[in-house]
Amino acid sequence: MSNKRKRIDLIYQGITYAAASVAVIVLSMIFIYVFTNGSGLLNFGLITTDYHAKFYNSGIQEVDQFSTAPRPDNLGEDTYYSEKWGIALADSEDREGKLVITVEYVSEDSPLKNLMYDKNSEDEKPIQLEEGDILGTIKFNDKGSALSIYGAKNMLDELDEEDTFREMVFYTKGGGIRGSIITTLYLIGLTMLLALPIGVFTAIYLNEFAPINRFTNILRSMIEVLTGVPSIIFGLMGLAVFVPLTVKYTPADSGNIISGAMTLAVILLPVIIRSTEESLKVVPDAFRQASLALGANETQTTFKVVLPSAIPGILTATLLAIGRVIGESAALIFAIGTAIKDDISIFGKSTSLAVHIWSLMTDEPANIELASTIAVIILIIVLALNLLVKLVSKKFTKKFD
Amino acid sequence: MNNVFNIKNLDLFYDDFQALKNIDLDVEKNKVTALIGPSGCGKSTFIRCLNRMNDLIPSCKIEGNIQYHKEDIYDDNYDVIGLRTDVGMVFQSPNPFPMSIYDNVAYGPRCAGNKNKDKLDKIVENSLKKAALYDEVKDRMNDSAMGLSGGQQQRLCIARAIAMEPEVILMDEPTSALDPIATLKIEELINDLKENYTIVIVTHSMQQAARISDKTAFFLMGELIEVDETDKIFTQPSNQKTEDYITGRFG
Repeated sequence: MSNKRKRIDLIYQGITYAAASVAVIVLSMIFIYVFTNGSGLLNFGLITTDYHAKFYNSGIQEVDQFSTAPRPDNLGEDTYYSEKWGIALADSEDREGKLVITVEYVSEDSPLKNLMYDKNSEDEKPIQLEEGDILGTIKFNDKGSALSIYGAKNMLDELDEEDTFREMVFYTKGGGIRGSIITTLYLIGLTMLLALPIGVFTAIYLNEFAPINRFTNILRSMIEVLTGVPSIIFGLMGLAVFVPLTVKYTPADSGNIISGAMTLAVILLPVIIRSTEESLKVVPDAFRQASLALGANETQTTFKVVLPSAIPGILTATLLAIGRVIGESAALIFAIGTAIKDDISIFGKSTSLAVHIWSLMTDEPANIELASTIAVIILIIVLALNLLVKLVSKKFTKKFD
Repeated sequence: MNNVFNIKNLDLFYDDFQALKNIDLDVEKNKVTALIGPSGCGKSTFIRCLNRMNDLIPSCKIEGNIQYHKEDIYDDNYDVIGLRTDVGMVFQSPNPFPMSIYDNVAYGPRCAGNKNKDKLDKIVENSLKKAALYDEVKDRMNDSAMGLSGGQQQRLCIARAIAMEPEVILMDEPTSALDPIATLKIEELINDLKENYTIVIVTHSMQQAARISDKTAFFLMGELIEVDETDKIFTQPSNQKTEDYITGRFG
């Protein structure tokens, strides 16, 4: 008998261990995949720079004094250096995976740093070549142009033979996700501004004031049904209702951040209502009774006693909701659009981080590296939010526990 | 006649179940009235009628007449908020709000619209002094009330009720969750309080009723069996059921 009990015990424990390990393995596989693919591109340049490269068309005055700086020691073997012009070039790939020539180093006394001017501006304002820029073509006065497809060495050799050139086309690296990050932050802020008050007050109504009858029961089950509706359907609603609405009443002329935030707010309402109601439910009735017995009315009881006690729960709900905003893509494709933008306006099209991933993966060929890097950034943001909310709710509970 | 409450023919139903049957009882001013009886006899239900806390239970239905200073408190136009400020309540288990000690005591006056900081300070200090808690907490008024011991928490709840300057304090088994020493302190406190307040206390302990009350009412199965001076109830009860109960033959 006791042997049988032991065996059954072992089997049940084994099942729980196995299930837990499957969960851990799957999670760590996702993390490892995303991090190994994405960590290569991860740097602050990616976060702070524009997605669309800026093109410069530059010319140069007559050069009296060429560079004299020797080749720096820290340049790699595949990097070519011109002592005359004081620049180092290398063949590499940009963030979209195309072969390009990148500027690895520009010396302090390089003519390209001091003498170049912008051909596109009317007053020929000075510009400079910077490390990280990508060289397109150099057009010379008395011979054919040096093109980037022939590689860094060829371009540098051609440049070394000449004392001046007619035109140099270079551009910033691009592929940065600054715009998508700003859009995501806007979305979080606006969505919470819309969804939190409505959600929390609805939950308060349902839990504290609503009479127990058919109507409230129907309302409750409708809210429950809404949590299960696929978000793409909300996206359709956003396209059909919120986009025309914002186009009519704001300067927007198509999908925009406000219509996106409205759509997300609708998606999040049931989530916020449900979890706020749950946290209101666990507030002990003793608090309500004590408050009422002191001659406080229902409103005072709710807002002075019940709601403060439910704040840790509401914070958790907020965290969940923000996670949803960051992760949501299907609905936003309709409600904002998929245009990747650098100049963000809440009345304009743009794209959130999650939709940015979607855009990159639907490109031909798919840019898995950059997509993974954005995934890493999303993971980091969610993790940071998690810690923040834990800290805040800990502070709240510590104070009164 | 110096009665605060006059209760006549009170019947109370939870749906179909009749929890109180034809109760007649008068509560005298500045006296401690103890309600005793076995569990489920309706004494807690009865005390909750006196400040209309039973309003919170939707299935609860009341018939009969409860007069507070000759006014029917179940009249549709009766000011319930006003009743509850005049008739304070202390509950079975200590239930301070998850706020600071100061805010707990100041809660009632604040809800009543008292915002003057100096006045509130005075009310809080006086209430805590009357509840014999001031010396223990005067250096940590801004600490959470949840950090107090059970007995201190219950005295804080009494202070919270006193802060409203009520006439009557209802106590629903205020010491049932406390240890003997904390219980003793609360009992001493009740003895002090009856100078200024009318107290109605529900208790499971007959010794407690005998120690602190002036009048005792014995409830059984929703009926008020007997009400009289405490000395008389415990020495020569006029009803056989009361005698059986206080001598420990049942309950």
